Amino acid sequence: MRPRLDALLRTTTFRLALVQAGVVLLFVGVMLAYVYFSTVGQLIRDSDALADQEYATLERAYAEGGMRRLNQEVVERAARQGPFLYVLAESNGVVVTGDFQQLPVEPREAPQRVDFSFELPDATGETVRGRASGRIGRLINGPILLVARDLGDSAVIAGRITRVLWTVAIIGIIVSIVSGLLAATQAARRAETLSTTAREVMAGDLTRRAPVRGAGDEFDELAEALNAMLDRIEQLMHTTRTAGDAIAHDLRSPLTRFRQKLEAALEKPADSEADREALRKALEEADKLFNMFAAVLKLSRVEEASNWRLTRVDVAEILRELLEFYEPAAEDEGLSFSGEVQDNLFIQGDHGLFTQAVSNLIENAIKYTPHGGRVQVRAIRRADARIEIAVADSGPGVPVADRDRVQERFVRLESARSSAGVGLGLSLVAAVARLHRGGLHLRDGLDNTSGGKGLDVALVLPAAA
Amino acid sequence: MRVLLVEDDPDMAESLKASLSADSHEVDHANDGGVGEQMASEGGYDVIVLDRMLPTKQGVAIVRDLRGKGVSTPVLILSALHDEDHRIEGLNAGANDYLGKPFSTRELLARVRALWHGRDLGPQTRLTVGGLEMDLLARTVRRDGKKLDLQPREFRLLEYLMRNAGQTVTRKMLLENVWDYHFDPQTNVIDVHISRLRSKIDRDFSQTLLHTVRGSGYRLDG
Repeated sequence: MRPRLDALLRTTTFRLALVQAGVVLLFVGVMLAYVYFSTVGQLIRDSDALADQEYATLERAYAEGGMRRLNQEVVERAARQGPFLYVLAESNGVVVTGDFQQLPVEPREAPQRVDFSFELPDATGETVRGRASGRIGRLINGPILLVARDLGDSAVIAGRITRVLWTVAIIGIIVSIVSGLLAATQAARRAETLSTTAREVMAGDLTRRAPVRGAGDEFDELAEALNAMLDRIEQLMHTTRTAGDAIAHDLRSPLTRFRQKLEAALEKPADSEADREALRKALEEADKLFNMFAAVLKLSRVEEASNWRLTRVDVAEILRELLEFYEPAAEDEGLSFSGEVQDNLFIQGDHGLFTQAVSNLIENAIKYTPHGGRVQVRAIRRADARIEIAVADSGPGVPVADRDRVQERFVRLESARSSAGVGLGLSLVAAVARLHRGGLHLRDGLDNTSGGKGLDVALVLPAAA
Repeated sequence: MRVLLVEDDPDMAESLKASLSADSHEVDHANDGGVGEQMASEGGYDVIVLDRMLPTKQGVAIVRDLRGKGVSTPVLILSALHDEDHRIEGLNAGANDYLGKPFSTRELLARVRALWHGRDLGPQTRLTVGGLEMDLLARTVRRDGKKLDLQPREFRLLEYLMRNAGQTVTRKMLLENVWDYHFDPQTNVIDVHISRLRSKIDRDFSQTLLHTVRGSGYRLDG
């Protein structure tokens, strides 16, 4: 339990609860002071004013009749059992007459305000505690005079008010601390479920997700963000695993053929012509393997943007050269091959990668479009100032559902499995598009003879200034 | 032809030496950059084949220093790093050709021969191979006095073949030197360009000049 409590005390919510308790305390303190001064304070101020009048009356009596007159006045007044308390003392402090046997407070030279508690026997002889407030001072030639007013019931009321205020303050502090603790516990528990999810994922269960309560609060938001991150990681892991499986799978076939060709040649009796043929075939398989490795390495390099310095690239020039380069091959395949390239198309890019990306698109179109079909290449500046390089064909096309998938590594549709290639072409183009802060879009292409729509692959890149 | 091979991997060096010797070159071998540079400076080689990653001194630094010392022997750099940047860095340092690993032996042999062959040519205004005549200033080509009509790219393709007449040129060499492309097209684009050129220079004549070298590339013979 202790670590839980420590953790609780460290939580932000608990600290906020403490601050809240402090604010309550301050507020109650101010309230208390206000109530105190407007009740108890007022009572004292009123009685002080009366005590001052009484003191002044006695001071005048002393001035007119001296010590004897003053003594008489004090004795008379004290006997009246009024609200005032009196003490008259010699200059050395020895009490001459009055309600107390001793001075309740030490006087100073100048008259001063006094506020004191006292105990006196009441009419029935019982000792009662009281509180009084008034004035004490030295008169001319030294005698000391104290005139104070018993605060009586007022003091009792004031005491009650004070106690109530303290009670309210203490309850307020307790309530705010307890509510803070509850809120903190709640927050800690929800944070705990998030950490538990994270730990379970770290332990290897990538399918775990943080519970979302549906309250729409910040913890739900956090849980949703965490879940979205986990989805992305799981997807990446899946892609990596798929890529790994695909590499292993795609490598196995050429490696098997490679091995089998060498083995078959070894088992047969030596025949230089047949051996040479077997070696030549084995070499072809080895080259295929190297091409796959090269393609995977290239893709990884393209995906690391920091590897590249982008410069101003003349898209129109590259496109015209590629059209000229591929035109004879396309014509040889019996394709109608045409290009539309606008002038003054520039991007901020890598010349070699951009050239290779467009060449991949053109090669794909030529490779997948059957004899008699059409391939159209166009490079234009769009209304949104982006440059679009699109290669449309009248081939078999790609079903809408597969159009995102074919941009992933190693994905080749079943229909294309039998043909050459390693399924990295489009993923390289997609990676090149991302490197150039653009995108790759697959759409319907040109009508083909079997009623299909063909494929149109567009590379859309931001134009250079 | 005397070839200096600077390569530190013993297996690789052994197999390259064997291939170059079989192609009737005289091969000296250094397995370390410093020694290789020393041997190259002393001269007498027709072509230097230099690995990029070497102990004591890197291939690119060796070429730069050799060129600084006025050694103009053609250099071919072999490298596992064959990205555009690395290739350009090697060529800027003064190398004449750059070949990425893995490469086929035929590719290497063709390039070594092309380097040696190209060295003597210098600036020329006319190329002649058999009955084929190319005027580089007038941009015209004739065979047996008959004018041939070539597209600009076909002209450059033929020019490259004529400069390397009698030597095998690979598809990769054509891609790099005629089109300046440094990727491998999956389709047979180069073959189609060659067959178009062949139809212009050979079709109406009894003797075939442009030959296909099986498994390697093409060769123009006089």
